Amino acid sequence: MLTALTFIFMLTAAFAVLGFIAVSAMFLIWWERKVSAHIQSRFGPMRVGWHGVLQSIADAVKLLLKEDIRPARADKLIWWLAPFFAVVPSVMVFVAIPFGRTLVPRDLNIGILYIMAISSVCVIGVFMAGWGSNNKYSLLGGMRAGAQIISYELPLVLSIIAVVMRAGTPSMQKIVASQGSCWNIFHPDMMLVSVIYMISATAEVNRTPFDIPEAESELVAGFHTEYSGMKFAMFFVGEYTNLFIVAAIATTLFLGGWHGPILPPVVWFLIKTYALVFVWMWVRWTFPRVRVDQLMAFAWKVLTPAALVNLAIVGWLLLKR
Amino acid sequence: MVITKTIKGAKGIITGAWSLLKGLFVTIKYFFGPTTTVQYPAQKLPMTERFRGLVDLHPEKCITCYQCVKICPTACLAVTHKEADKKKILETFRYNMELCCFCGLCQQVCPTNAIYMNKIYEISVYDRKKLYINLLNPERYSEWINPTVK
Repeated sequence: MLTALTFIFMLTAAFAVLGFIAVSAMFLIWWERKVSAHIQSRFGPMRVGWHGVLQSIADAVKLLLKEDIRPARADKLIWWLAPFFAVVPSVMVFVAIPFGRTLVPRDLNIGILYIMAISSVCVIGVFMAGWGSNNKYSLLGGMRAGAQIISYELPLVLSIIAVVMRAGTPSMQKIVASQGSCWNIFHPDMMLVSVIYMISATAEVNRTPFDIPEAESELVAGFHTEYSGMKFAMFFVGEYTNLFIVAAIATTLFLGGWHGPILPPVVWFLIKTYALVFVWMWVRWTFPRVRVDQLMAFAWKVLTPAALVNLAIVGWLLLKR
Repeated sequence: MVITKTIKGAKGIITGAWSLLKGLFVTIKYFFGPTTTVQYPAQKLPMTERFRGLVDLHPEKCITCYQCVKICPTACLAVTHKEADKKKILETFRYNMELCCFCGLCQQVCPTNAIYMNKIYEISVYDRKKLYINLLNPERYSEWINPTVK
């Protein structure tokens, strides 16, 4: 029975999550620009606000005011729907992410399964954008994104299964609770798994060295070449929200979620997540892009067998226990 | 055969991972290191010793030999003089920056180092007339030395 009070509560939670996503994405865009600048011995944005903190807001205003151009022979419906498919799944994933002891929109009993299922829908948005634009670069980008994300889903899920086996439950809160004494990353059988997760998650969110779906130097901008204004902004926000999500999942699965001394749980969760996001940015501005064949070979010949072997070891250890 | 192949593969993975860590170490060093760029309009770098900016003149050194006028490939210099007591006195020294190709030949050929090239590099103007410069005017470049930032 849906009473008015629960409805208001749900609405508040939804708006809180949406607000957090918008602020977080803007902060991450600014941070990415600063990190890249300092790695290249530059300053990055410095004009708008203190050290350019308000730069993302200025950019958002610019994107809101820009004309929304549609290619003449684009597949209208698919082209129009694609940005929503790219953003909505990333927002839906926030339902199961545990920010604190009680601060989770809803602790689903199939938490991690739900997250993996929903976040995989993002690739449909990317592929729709590539197909609907009626542009060869976009189409190639969309095809590559499909191939890449489906290939890397396998080692990603295999590495997550190891954690789920150890915790004995796919519920995010219970996985965090099981790491009260020792974070998963410090267990010898989980170290390889966390590395595999980090690598496959980089490919999942299309970041360098695995950013072939939007490789600027060969595909212009890949699947979002033809998008402008607010639709482009939606892809951008979706991308950075996905980055936050993979970091949040890694925090939950391997770094003990919101566990930590002195500071409140939410703060610990955010510190760990943003530290991981920094690692991803650091990696992005260090390594060159890999080729498509190298990327696929790495997923199928190295990561998947390694994840399978590790899964067998985890299972054997569980049986022995 | 299989064993050597496996050893080779394992070696490749280890050296590869080590090279990746090396790369990460380099970038983090630069991340915490100083920035080499400057905040341009607020902060400006001094120009190098042999930088060729605008043509400039020490009028008191000029002996009116017309060497610079002769060697200028684009004929951007215009000099006139008058004579008094069998001595040449410099009357006008005009510099057409619109034509100047900043080759520095006038600076090289000048026997008394009267004509030289200064360090001004922010040389765009809104009015074409400002490109015709009277080098005898003591305030010829005052507008350009501290250009206003808009």
